[in-house]
Amino acid sequence: MSKTQSDFEFSPSAETVPDWMLELDQVGIVRRMLMARKWYGGDWWFVVFSALLLLFVIIVGFFPQWFAPHDPRAEVGPSLLAPGEPPSSYVLVTTVDSGVTSLRQIADSSNYIGYQVATPSSQALRDALDELNATAEEGVRYQPRPKRFETLEEGLDALQAGEVDGFVASPQELEGVMENYPALEVASGLREAAESGFVLGTNQIGQDILSRIIWGTRIALIVGLSSALFALVIGVPLGLISAYVGGSLDRVLTLIMDSLYAFPGLILAISIAAVLGAGITNIIIAIAVLYIPTYFRIVRGQVLSVKEELYIEAAQSLGAKSRTILWRYIFPNVIPSVVIIFSVNVADAILTEAGLSFLGFGLPPDTPDWGIDLARGQDYVRRAWWLITFPGLMVTMVTLAFSMLGESLSEILNPRLSEL
Amino acid sequence: MSASFRNFLITRLLLTIPMVLILITFVFFIMRILPGDPIRSQLGPRVSAEQADRIAERLGLNRPLYVQYFDFLWKTVTLDFGTALTQGERPIIQELGEKLPATIELTVPAMTFTAVVGIGLGAYAATRRKKPIDFGIRLFSIIVYSIPIFFMGLIFQIIFSVRLNLLPLAGRMDPLLLINFNSITNFYILDAILTRNWAALVSALRHLILPATTLGLALAGVFIRLTRVNMIEMLHADFITAGRARGIPEGRLAYRHALRNTFIPILTLIGLQLAILMAGAVLTETTFSWPGIGRYLVTRIQLRDYTAVQSTIAVFAVFVAGISLAMDVLYAFIDPRIRY
Repeated sequence: MSKTQSDFEFSPSAETVPDWMLELDQVGIVRRMLMARKWYGGDWWFVVFSALLLLFVIIVGFFPQWFAPHDPRAEVGPSLLAPGEPPSSYVLVTTVDSGVTSLRQIADSSNYIGYQVATPSSQALRDALDELNATAEEGVRYQPRPKRFETLEEGLDALQAGEVDGFVASPQELEGVMENYPALEVASGLREAAESGFVLGTNQIGQDILSRIIWGTRIALIVGLSSALFALVIGVPLGLISAYVGGSLDRVLTLIMDSLYAFPGLILAISIAAVLGAGITNIIIAIAVLYIPTYFRIVRGQVLSVKEELYIEAAQSLGAKSRTILWRYIFPNVIPSVVIIFSVNVADAILTEAGLSFLGFGLPPDTPDWGIDLARGQDYVRRAWWLITFPGLMVTMVTLAFSMLGESLSEILNPRLSEL
Repeated sequence: MSASFRNFLITRLLLTIPMVLILITFVFFIMRILPGDPIRSQLGPRVSAEQADRIAERLGLNRPLYVQYFDFLWKTVTLDFGTALTQGERPIIQELGEKLPATIELTVPAMTFTAVVGIGLGAYAATRRKKPIDFGIRLFSIIVYSIPIFFMGLIFQIIFSVRLNLLPLAGRMDPLLLINFNSITNFYILDAILTRNWAALVSALRHLILPATTLGLALAGVFIRLTRVNMIEMLHADFITAGRARGIPEGRLAYRHALRNTFIPILTLIGLQLAILMAGAVLTETTFSWPGIGRYLVTRIQLRDYTAVQSTIAVFAVFVAGISLAMDVLYAFIDPRIRY
């Protein structure tokens, strides 16, 4: 691009350009952001909203232990519990005059406990016993003898006759039936520790979804931020040097970067991740490789247009070293674009990471990670919508926050379009 | 054909070759140099050293790396990919011939959806600039961009297949129909029409709706944004002002004059979007169990089937480079200014 042409294009007279825009040209990036009054007209709440969202996400990502009610890896509840559903709504039915009030008493004396076959009550009983055994003293193991019944009535009859010492059933089943058995009563809940439900439910192995998505924030932020940073640290200097030096180095680098850029990123990341194996560092490397060309291309393009400016020539003729010119005179010009790309890249990297994990190339299988949770949830798409919905919403929310930040930053830092 | 156009064509064609070469080389060395023995990772640790050697010899893995590299390059050029190492050990070219049509059948409707929705909404937002509808469309485009494509697919499955039971959950066709389905080209829709199998056609179309919409919607976000930005710029161009001065109605100005000129940058975008489309296809195919090339690649990578993976990526590279070449040529053909 020739100088005369660019001078001609950007020679605004004082009447056509508002004062604030002229002021903007004189200040640094932080002041520019604060002064940019392009936040009016609806855009400002874009910025506020995304900034608040990001702040929240970052706090959660840094201190997941403050927010997560459970250990994300621990199997804390029954499997596939819907959001808000209490862990066990099952109750223990006993005879009024037996004096038995809890499962522990029945289990203590290895007596019989009845339940209806082919209902969730067997699982409820097993869960309750697991809980009981977990709190038991060393060496003690509660094992009441189970007795299966075909129907609810059969079981209750047996209880009344004294064949079993307790019967497991849900309140819904017992509704209207209990009146026929005056000698029976609902003694207690099946579980001793009456837990409230899991806010977002549990997954197929009984892990708390809420805790998992909260801990997943940390992984997403680590991978997103470090891979974008890694790509920046490599891509920006390469772009600077390539454009400044020019010649065959520039041609070779541009060709390589263009090839990488044109190729489907996810597929490259899959190949790299598959070869490197599971692990957070490997994922970061695999994703960072994808974004190096993005920085390279933008920085290179900008340097090429800045390189011919008069002030660079002046610095050169005054004998400034190449390094000084690159870092002190050229680099500041590319900072705004790099900031925008960084923000958008973080969003993209989080999406890519989720995609990699979803395909099974990401992190070790037990990591609390949104992509892994989504992949596991896919098997239960017919039965448990909450396994998919909540981790998916988290990915969307965090990506949205970073993209909106990038969007508003680009409106503020490149106000050209907003003026039209 | 003018001389400048011919020169452009030749230069562009010559630039495509190193691009494909770089990608193929990259993948080849990444698969070989990095740790992991291809034979042991496939057959497990129980294979004896003797057996491993024999297999290595059969596959030519015991030759020097550079010999293998040139051999691979030559085989790629001649489309002789050899046989897959796993799952039936069928010729790779035959497998790709089955999978590629499935991917094309998915991506073409998706891309059409993207173009219609993206350009339509983007142009509309540009004409309603700074009005609530513009803001809404912009927000929609960012949200659509931020939703992981597989999440969108899973949500569609939950809503339309599981809850409403309107559309099939996954696959390309009803398995019962597939038994008697005579596939000639592996493009199921085309085959169904050719064989006049209307039940199969309906089934294939019903299976296509969810994956194609998912993929199309995911890509529409970028399209809306770029159409809107370009259209706004175009609406402020001098020729529009001139048209307005002559009293041409605003709607006609926007959609006949401005939008037409916006198509040129959008065309480039379609070329660039191809990379995203392919990545999206991998995820969509996995979500909807669509037996395309993306899912093939993923399963083969998981099986560490080196020959299949290399060949598939080579095909991807050629495909992407070919389309981007075609787009550039088309672009130059439409807009003479960029023939450099």
